[in-house]
Amino acid sequence: MNSYIRICDIEKYYGNASHVTKAIDRLTFTVKKGEFMGVMGPSGSGKTTLLNLLSTIDRVSAGHIFYEDTDITALSEDDLAEFRKNNLGFVFQEYNLLDTLTIEENISLALTLQGNSKKSILETTAKLLKLLDIEEIRGKFPYQVSGGQKQRCACARALACDPKLLLADEPTGALDSLSSQTLLETFTKLNQTLGTTILMVTHDAFCASYCSRILFLRDGKIFHELLRADRSRQLFLQDILDVLSFTGGKTTENP
Amino acid sequence: MLSKLAIRNMKRSARDYLVYLLTMTLISALLYTFNSLLFQNELKQYWNTEDMLELMVFLATLFIVFVTAWLISYMVRFMMEKRSREFGIYLLLGMKKRTIARLYLRENILSGAIALLLGMLFGTLFRQVLMAILFSMLKMTYRLHISFHPGTFLMTAFCFGLCYLLSLSRCQKKFRKMNIHDLMETARKNEEIRERHESAKKLLLPLSVLFILAFWALFGSLQSNGEVALFLIGLVITIYLFYIGLSAHMICYIRKRGNLIYRGQNLFLMRQFSAKIRTMQFTMGTLTVLFTLALMGSSIALMFSTWQNTLLDHKFPFDILLYSPDPEDTFEKEIQFLEKQVTALDIYPYRLYTDGDNQVNTWMLTHLNAWGTMYQMPDGSADMAKIEDFLENRNVYYPYDTYMGISDYNHLRRMLGYEEIDLGDTEYAIQIKPRLEQEVQTIGEDLKLAGVFDTSPSGADLNPAGISDTSLSGAELNPAGIYDAPFGEDPASRASLLSFTGIYADPFSQDGHNGADYLIIVPDEVLSRMRPYQSELAMDIEGTAPPRLRNELDTLRNAGAEDTQSDDLYSCFVLPCNGSDILINSGTPNEVKDNHRAALTYMLASLMIPLFYIGLVFLCVAVTVLSVQQLSDAAAYRFRYDVLSKLGLKESELHGLIFKQLAAFYLCPALFAILISGKMMLFAGDSFVIATGVPVSAGSFFLKSIALFFGIYLVYFAVTYVCFQRNIRGRI
Repeated sequence: MNSYIRICDIEKYYGNASHVTKAIDRLTFTVKKGEFMGVMGPSGSGKTTLLNLLSTIDRVSAGHIFYEDTDITALSEDDLAEFRKNNLGFVFQEYNLLDTLTIEENISLALTLQGNSKKSILETTAKLLKLLDIEEIRGKFPYQVSGGQKQRCACARALACDPKLLLADEPTGALDSLSSQTLLETFTKLNQTLGTTILMVTHDAFCASYCSRILFLRDGKIFHELLRADRSRQLFLQDILDVLSFTGGKTTENP
Repeated sequence: MLSKLAIRNMKRSARDYLVYLLTMTLISALLYTFNSLLFQNELKQYWNTEDMLELMVFLATLFIVFVTAWLISYMVRFMMEKRSREFGIYLLLGMKKRTIARLYLRENILSGAIALLLGMLFGTLFRQVLMAILFSMLKMTYRLHISFHPGTFLMTAFCFGLCYLLSLSRCQKKFRKMNIHDLMETARKNEEIRERHESAKKLLLPLSVLFILAFWALFGSLQSNGEVALFLIGLVITIYLFYIGLSAHMICYIRKRGNLIYRGQNLFLMRQFSAKIRTMQFTMGTLTVLFTLALMGSSIALMFSTWQNTLLDHKFPFDILLYSPDPEDTFEKEIQFLEKQVTALDIYPYRLYTDGDNQVNTWMLTHLNAWGTMYQMPDGSADMAKIEDFLENRNVYYPYDTYMGISDYNHLRRMLGYEEIDLGDTEYAIQIKPRLEQEVQTIGEDLKLAGVFDTSPSGADLNPAGISDTSLSGAELNPAGIYDAPFGEDPASRASLLSFTGIYADPFSQDGHNGADYLIIVPDEVLSRMRPYQSELAMDIEGTAPPRLRNELDTLRNAGAEDTQSDDLYSCFVLPCNGSDILINSGTPNEVKDNHRAALTYMLASLMIPLFYIGLVFLCVAVTVLSVQQLSDAAAYRFRYDVLSKLGLKESELHGLIFKQLAAFYLCPALFAILISGKMMLFAGDSFVIATGVPVSAGSFFLKSIALFFGIYLVYFAVTYVCFQRNIRGRI
């Protein structure tokens, strides 16, 4: 697999002249196409900052981020919005569904914003509803469905535009264990069958064990890296827990 | 501790509900300004008999107190719902319900007190502006001076307090009933969108549209008050149902996956709009009613203001003009009195005559727009039975046509500074009210007016001496030996006809003094066959008349009339008729230009000012609710726009979206109100133009009030838009 996304020596500072916080400290790594990558680390390690930088929501203080040949750190605000629309999909802990729209409408809105035709919007929406098993609740409003269903809807919306990268920020944070498991299995399925590249930020070792590679951050730097390779998920989880015991991360075991 | 918390909460609310506080300040300023008319009316010294302004302002204040109370109670309830979670936490921390209620009450009273004090401060300034406007309307000079009256303060505080009392008492009950779980849940419930029976509700939209169409088609032809009342009730119900229908219609359209929703951000916009309308459909209806009333108030006020600006100066061309029903009145007593009061430049008593015919009256009743086809038979000819009944029983026209001799006419024209006119021995002219000039262009073709009586032997009813034979014709000789035609007989059969020379439409005091609407000007010789009908005294004076001259004249002539037991048909103090100016009737027997002009202006101001006042307050209250509704939902909107931004919407597209969303929300009730009030106001404007003859088109009042309306609307919109942008964009 080729390097799909290249993160080159990026830095991110917050604060003013008298008080500077270095959230990301000269970080360099690559993401390969079709990879399911996890980013772990304790609070304040820079996980969410990294995700924000990758998702173009925030800008780097120094360094470059390349999506194939596009350097997103050199794009204007409007170009970034365009880039986001065409290349990125988001899944957040808080679902971020629009409460005034039904489940189906939440998905088709993303397609409408891309300027697709009605026919293709209807087709794609139907396909995604089926893929994520939320067909039955298509006409319901977010407040009428469960957290897991909401998150799957968010997932469907994120996939609607066939993104280069699916970014997930603590996607299971607000879900019960069964829903978490279903969602993670969905992620795996998307990754394996559709070849979707996924970057997931999480606290949770169980959640991370679904990934193929995990970066451990501490104080804005890469502190460790784990590759799952051919290991079983159980073994991989054990390795993750071992690493976390050094960093002080959160551990939850799922039945 | 509680006070500290109350102050801190109040500060926070002030930031979130800035528009509400500004409106409350404005309302308190307006209340203060208009209340000052009740206690500090500096004009009262000139018109101590006119209490109309006070009465009208009082009535307007009453309406305003109720609407303001509605606004406060709406806001109190609204803020309570928005803060229910916070109250829940207070309860969780062990605060008693009574303490929370007191805390909330304290916050509201504190912000109310600030608005009241600020308002009164601005009110003192507004008062100066209002007095300056009033004085300039009355052509008097106003010297700026700040004055205070405890009555104004107390009244304003009382009205304001009453508004709060009316609204806060209900909120106490709510506090008593609440529990922690409900409070925590309220916020969530607010966001729930209930969609039930949408396809049935959808029918309400075409139904309301049909009703509005019927309203436009039928309003002008409604006959009885009952029908009008029925239609108005229907209209109010329609206003409320319209919003239910509109939102259901949109929801159904979206559910049906209509083509429009797949274009641009339409889906988001339509969902936002229908959800908002759904959650506040009743409020939207009330806002539409308020907008409609505001538009109607300002349109009607504009009608009177236009009348005052364009026609008032024409109403009283003579400095002093007195009427007497006695044709022999020489006005000795009055002249004696007036010479003591003013310096007369010219004093001219004269008489009006009649030939006992109805030709011109009939023409007027069948041709003027004011009467339409009321006095025509279906074939267009005059309905004489109706006309005779009208002339006998309605004080609009004199029972018979009115004439004036050319020498009297030219003397009066000289007095008014108009050019004299030439009239041949066999000619006549028409002097008409300026506003009717265009309507009577063809009058000369239809009238057949007799000249001097033919005294030749062929005159059928005359004896050889040229004197009428009473036994044959019923004609009489008056003591002066002048021939009087028998009333009702066609004079044309006895005399040669006069030819028409022209229409003169200079202001000539024709609301009963110099005829009602019209005068026929004939050569003096023609008058010899007519009967003197009434006496008039016209006077040109130097400078202006003393302010109370008219009242003194009334008293003087009143006393005179009681002495002489004047005939019961006409009294000295009521003009027998006023012409077709049925709406603003300025005719009065003792006309003193300077006094009447001011009195009429004052009366008009009494109507206009409260109407504008009500219109302004209603508008501000309604727009405040709209603004607050949008701004207070900032958190929800911020989140939604944040999601859209993540979905790849550009900054400029987001700005456009916010603008569209606000504009749709703001325009919907405003346009609907325009649609509803439009018919009524166009109809009223039309009737007003016909009844008064203001030289503007019927729609101009309404258009101007829409312009005024949108002026204020735009200010609120701009403030809301800026605050909204700040709330949303600040944190994305």
